[in-house]
Amino acid sequence: MSETTTARVEGLTVSYRAGEQRVVVAEDVSFQLHRGRTLGLVGESGSGKSTVARTLLGHLREGSTVDRGTVTVFDDDVFSLPAERLRKLRGGTVALVSQNAGHALTPSMRVGAQIREALAVHGLPCGDDRIVELLRLVRLPSPETLGRRYPHELSGGQQQRVAIAMAVATDPQILVLDEPTTALDVVTQAAVLALVSDLREQLGMAVLIVSHDLGVVSAVADEVLVLRSGREVEHGSTQQVLSAPREEYTRELIAAAPRIHGVPVPDGRDLETDLILRCTDVDIRYTRAPQLAVSGFDLEVRRGETVAIVGESGSGKSTIAAALAGLADVERGDASLWSADGTRHDLLGPAGRRPVDVRRSVQLVFQNADLALNPRRTVGDAIARPLKVFGRAKGRQEPRASVERLLTEVGLGPEFADRLPAQLSGGQRQRVGIARALAAEPTLLIADEITTALDVSVQADVLALLDDLRTRRALSCLFISHDLAVVRSVADRIVVMKDGRVVESAPTTSLFENPRHPYTRTLLDAVVEPGHTELPSSDVDARVITLDSNAALLDLGGGHRVRADEGVLTSS
Amino acid sequence: MITRLRGLGQVTTGTKIGLIFVGFTVLVALLAPWLAPYDPVATDADNALAGASWSHWLGTDQYGRDILSRTIEGGRFALLVSLLATTTAVVVGTLIGAVAAYYGRWVDGAITRVLDAVLAVPSVLALLLIVSVFGNSVPVLVIAIAVVYVPAVARVVRGAARPVLASGYVTAAKARGERSLPIIGREVLPNILDTVLVEFAMRASWVVLLVSTLSFLGFGVNPPTPDWGLMIQENRTALTVAPAGTIAPIVALSLLVVGLNLAADGLGKHFGVDRARRGVL
Repeated sequence: MSETTTARVEGLTVSYRAGEQRVVVAEDVSFQLHRGRTLGLVGESGSGKSTVARTLLGHLREGSTVDRGTVTVFDDDVFSLPAERLRKLRGGTVALVSQNAGHALTPSMRVGAQIREALAVHGLPCGDDRIVELLRLVRLPSPETLGRRYPHELSGGQQQRVAIAMAVATDPQILVLDEPTTALDVVTQAAVLALVSDLREQLGMAVLIVSHDLGVVSAVADEVLVLRSGREVEHGSTQQVLSAPREEYTRELIAAAPRIHGVPVPDGRDLETDLILRCTDVDIRYTRAPQLAVSGFDLEVRRGETVAIVGESGSGKSTIAAALAGLADVERGDASLWSADGTRHDLLGPAGRRPVDVRRSVQLVFQNADLALNPRRTVGDAIARPLKVFGRAKGRQEPRASVERLLTEVGLGPEFADRLPAQLSGGQRQRVGIARALAAEPTLLIADEITTALDVSVQADVLALLDDLRTRRALSCLFISHDLAVVRSVADRIVVMKDGRVVESAPTTSLFENPRHPYTRTLLDAVVEPGHTELPSSDVDARVITLDSNAALLDLGGGHRVRADEGVLTSS
Repeated sequence: MITRLRGLGQVTTGTKIGLIFVGFTVLVALLAPWLAPYDPVATDADNALAGASWSHWLGTDQYGRDILSRTIEGGRFALLVSLLATTTAVVVGTLIGAVAAYYGRWVDGAITRVLDAVLAVPSVLALLLIVSVFGNSVPVLVIAIAVVYVPAVARVVRGAARPVLASGYVTAAKARGERSLPIIGREVLPNILDTVLVEFAMRASWVVLLVSTLSFLGFGVNPPTPDWGLMIQENRTALTVAPAGTIAPIVALSLLVVGLNLAADGLGKHFGVDRARRGVL
């Protein structure tokens, strides 16, 4: 073992028992971690990457066993350590930051107390000054007072920073990050990744980062290990894997990552079709909330057009989706929907009071496909429901035929009709969600962060499906996302939102070529993609872009409108 | 649900024992008229307070009635009332709980306050009052016991329904403009059925005890009808002379209650209501 090697995994094979047979989660995986270096573990969900990463802490999911191979951390075989030593190793030598900090922090404990606990368990000094020091280390704002807050009072990015502070509190030699940014929006993601890079330099740790996104890994890792079905596909320096991938699978992963650098902007389509949706000056307020969730929202969507609404969490983008679907009350403003024959419908007011035709015309696809399908109903049943409610198919045979046609249209087979959601993968569930929305034959499809919970490769497939559908069905689509790179390939026009207000609205081409609002530029800078390894500074999410509440939207011509806030007129 | 019920073969030994206890008690109660060796209400003054013998396995009570026959027949009333009352309580409670969870806001507030008020009244006292006023016929008892247990069921179901209501499939149904009852019936209830079933088994054991308590206090079934609670009350004065008269109904009652508890526990674990066992993943 060389001087800088801190951990060595050799020929690791892990399996668990399912009924009578053993399922292999990881097979013959080997790698080494070096001080001050980062290894990225990349693979789709189910590739065994988390299982492998967690063996460094001597942790296996219940029922799993190590069949062959060793995990050595500083000369200690992790799986033969006595319990006492293993507890010292966990959190002391090897620290873990898990995917969802919202779940990883105890909701009923102040974050300062939680960090103190991490220190006290390992018998380290845990005075207030040390906690403030740690909070400062992870660049949280006002570290002196933040420790007294509860997790729910922090944003997702801040929660993840607290989780990182807990992990590095004991000065671990190895930091394991299990999908640390998957639940975060792009701006926060970039900031957290930059923080991880900085901390590695500062503290000289070895870092293992697990992700399904090659972009995330390439931004911070020196070395990449690609896993598929528990087996190593490719292993090498980040530079080499990205620029000259040896394996077809790696090439597919690289191609699937959404990117904005180095690829031409897709040609915007000039649609002169009729208008189907127009919102003017819409204000939305949640019951008894002091602030408006959305204010002064304007939007126009034409037939066959895809408009993307982009913004970070809390920007009000999903609230608009809910309001258009009749699930949130609109305080003020107008929203109209035109059906094919030119009749105008009012698109305000709750879903229950809308005419059937309006309800049918606007359909939602949800972010979390796991929760979007009733686990007790078959796929066919879920898709047939809108057919029945909206009277699109009658009798017994007709719905069945429609369901099979819809399933085929979204790239699944008729055989899926009898399956339960639990038997499907995330991507397949999302396709079922789309099929259910299509069953109503909508004019407007609202896709609310539909790819956020999916792996990059699956995301590419779902986006391709959506693109295919809108051309085939002349479907208008409102595509809501937090990632500009994702919407780039599907959107004709992009609306950028922040704090419930539209800050910039432009055809895709002009938005990417000439972003005017500083916030849009921040979003663009935050995109991480394979091969583009620059990260914005690690305190970017603390940088406040304040919106002038009186600023008006300036028309720059060609459909490009931008909010007249500070910094807008200095062209990039 | 059906696939999960099929998996009942894999439940723990405790659950199996519980199910066997309950099944046995119910079976005996159903077949009682054919199983009982004597007429349970026939008195025999010459043979009062007899010990165990070949003609009377468990002896006789103070009126010379066969204790075995009375024990075999004694579960019928309690089981009938328990079954009806528990079913009513669980069905009504589930509906109320689901409706409260569905509408939220002031509807929820109003319903929960009323439920809290009912929960605050001691159940036995309330029942004694109702029975004294309206008599002790089966419908009165069933309704009274159901009213006592509806709030508890409603609160549990409300809690279970809330996360389900936040899910995408319910939102999708709302966006389709479906009405509240179809949404509750199609989307919510199938997903909380496990909780409801466990709630049923748990409530049943409470109700059995409550019915027997009423009989013991003399407000349940009318003598000389055989009933476990009543038998314990009648025979406890003769505990030293003919102990079987008190012990037999106690054993029978315990068998049922322990069985119901084991079954509820096991079903809860089996359906995943007891998440601690599966580990939070």
